[in-house]
Amino acid sequence: MIAALRNATALTVAFLFSAAAAAADPNACAACHGEGGNSTNPAVPSIAGQPAKFISTALYMFREGYRKDPQMTPMAAQLSNSELNELAAYFSKQQAAPPKHRASAENAKAGPELAKKFNCTQCHGPRLLGQEQMPRLAGQQYDYLVAQLRAFKAGKRGELDGNMTAAAQAVPDKEMAALADYIAGLGAQ
Amino acid sequence: MNRIVIAAAVAAAFVLPALAQDKPAPPSWQQGKPAAQSESTLHPFAIEMTGKASKDLPVDKLKVPSGFKVEVWAEGMPGARSMAMGDKGTLFVGTRQLKDVYAVVDRGGKREVKTLLKGLDSPNGLVFNKGTLYVAERNRITRYDGIENNLDNPPEPKVIVDNLDPNKAPGHFWKFLALGPDGKLYFNIGAPGNIVMPTYNEASIMRVDPNSGTLETVALGVRNSVGMDFHPKTKQLWFTNHARDWLGDDSPHDTLHRVSRKGMHFGYPFCHQGDTPDPEFGKNRSCKEFDPPTLKLGAHIAPIGMRFYTGKMFPAEYQGNIFIAMRGSWNRTEKQGYNVMRVVLDENGKIAKYEPFLTGFLLDAKADPPMWGRPNDVMVMKDGALLVSDDQNGILYRVSTAK
Repeated sequence: MIAALRNATALTVAFLFSAAAAAADPNACAACHGEGGNSTNPAVPSIAGQPAKFISTALYMFREGYRKDPQMTPMAAQLSNSELNELAAYFSKQQAAPPKHRASAENAKAGPELAKKFNCTQCHGPRLLGQEQMPRLAGQQYDYLVAQLRAFKAGKRGELDGNMTAAAQAVPDKEMAALADYIAGLGAQ
Repeated sequence: MNRIVIAAAVAAAFVLPALAQDKPAPPSWQQGKPAAQSESTLHPFAIEMTGKASKDLPVDKLKVPSGFKVEVWAEGMPGARSMAMGDKGTLFVGTRQLKDVYAVVDRGGKREVKTLLKGLDSPNGLVFNKGTLYVAERNRITRYDGIENNLDNPPEPKVIVDNLDPNKAPGHFWKFLALGPDGKLYFNIGAPGNIVMPTYNEASIMRVDPNSGTLETVALGVRNSVGMDFHPKTKQLWFTNHARDWLGDDSPHDTLHRVSRKGMHFGYPFCHQGDTPDPEFGKNRSCKEFDPPTLKLGAHIAPIGMRFYTGKMFPAEYQGNIFIAMRGSWNRTEKQGYNVMRVVLDENGKIAKYEPFLTGFLLDAKADPPMWGRPNDVMVMKDGALLVSDDQNGILYRVSTAK
């Protein structure tokens, strides 16, 4: 309920910003993604300190319609490649805040093995800090992580190469929650 | 006694898949990674999906031999790969990671880039012939007739052949396309993984008659070829090939091949580079069963586009040379490749020389990433200059003789 209310607020704010601000203004992004890209909204991902190539690729996918989201699709629609690159460069240089989320003792213990077993570390790196076009997962919003994993598993989340859709098939719902709990509590440095 | 054996076999048949599921399959580029390298952090490099502007890149680092010059010819084509030139001077550029085909039109010395086709499935392979643009996608080959007269409103494509990727497996599904001297379209069907047993038409080079749609197998045992051309005199097919990963920094080599008869088998997955049996698939086979490559190009250098030089601009000793674009390594501790190479053949068609021609994309072999750009395809222009595509940034470079 609260998340829904926050989303509605974020949508309104995003709309106002997109109408008022210059297209490639990072402040327009910060309205939902938080100051400097450190999100405080459980449904919205942190983008501070993410690999630049991940941010530009995600924005490209929203713009081209390969990834769909009621807030992001219209935000990305008007942006040129060089504007996407500028936003990506800006947010990749912002400092990622330490996570507020605390994983349960049980999940914090089981997490590293789960992340290995389900191949998370194969692409996102041994400490899940992301690389190339793959996002940092460490310290990401718990609700957002679960929503993405569920969408990948259901084949409803756009991606470029099918690796996440394939990987998510193997993750049972119970372990999905445990994995997200562990990841959301990980330090982003 | 027999019953117990059968019961055990049945039980094993049920237990084994369960065990296999216990550790989910890794992403396709990790397939075939041996236990000894399980902690390796080597990983492929992704292109810039939004491209990069040449003004933000160290293009001044590019080097060509004395007497040549290199310059940015066109940019703003993210993922630019295979190139084909139209009769009226339109350059067509395909992509693999994107879904677009670009057209570059020369307007009085100023080049205009437009996205010609959108929403295609890895439209990597392009051929232009007699007014028609042929496009090889993941699953099909299509034709766009009269394309140069309809750049603002391209016609609906006609399908020449469909269902080329029935398994929809990850792996090497993008296709190169070349026009043979027989008027047929030649293309690859890559192996559906790093090192796997291909099904009947995978790991091959095939050709299709654009009029009848009839398919034929040209060569087998080809892991992934995304560059081919025909010798200007012998008319034989030559092609580049990517070798498997995760067998170490220096083995096996990527290779250059010549097809001297139909039905040759170049070894994959049993034998690599003509002399190296695969540790798994090669156990019960011999490399003697297979046709060797013409040249070992180096390990993990990723050769893509190759063309024979038939232009009039370069010095006479370049006539009939092969230029090969190397996209460069990821599966190697110290990276190599990232150059356009020159192969000189002697009068008998034997390799006489193999040397770098365009260099400077590799900045630091130990860095991650090691390069700022990646040569992908080469094409001889009508005036004899060499165009080089860079899919990392979406830029085309032109190499010409310095005046």
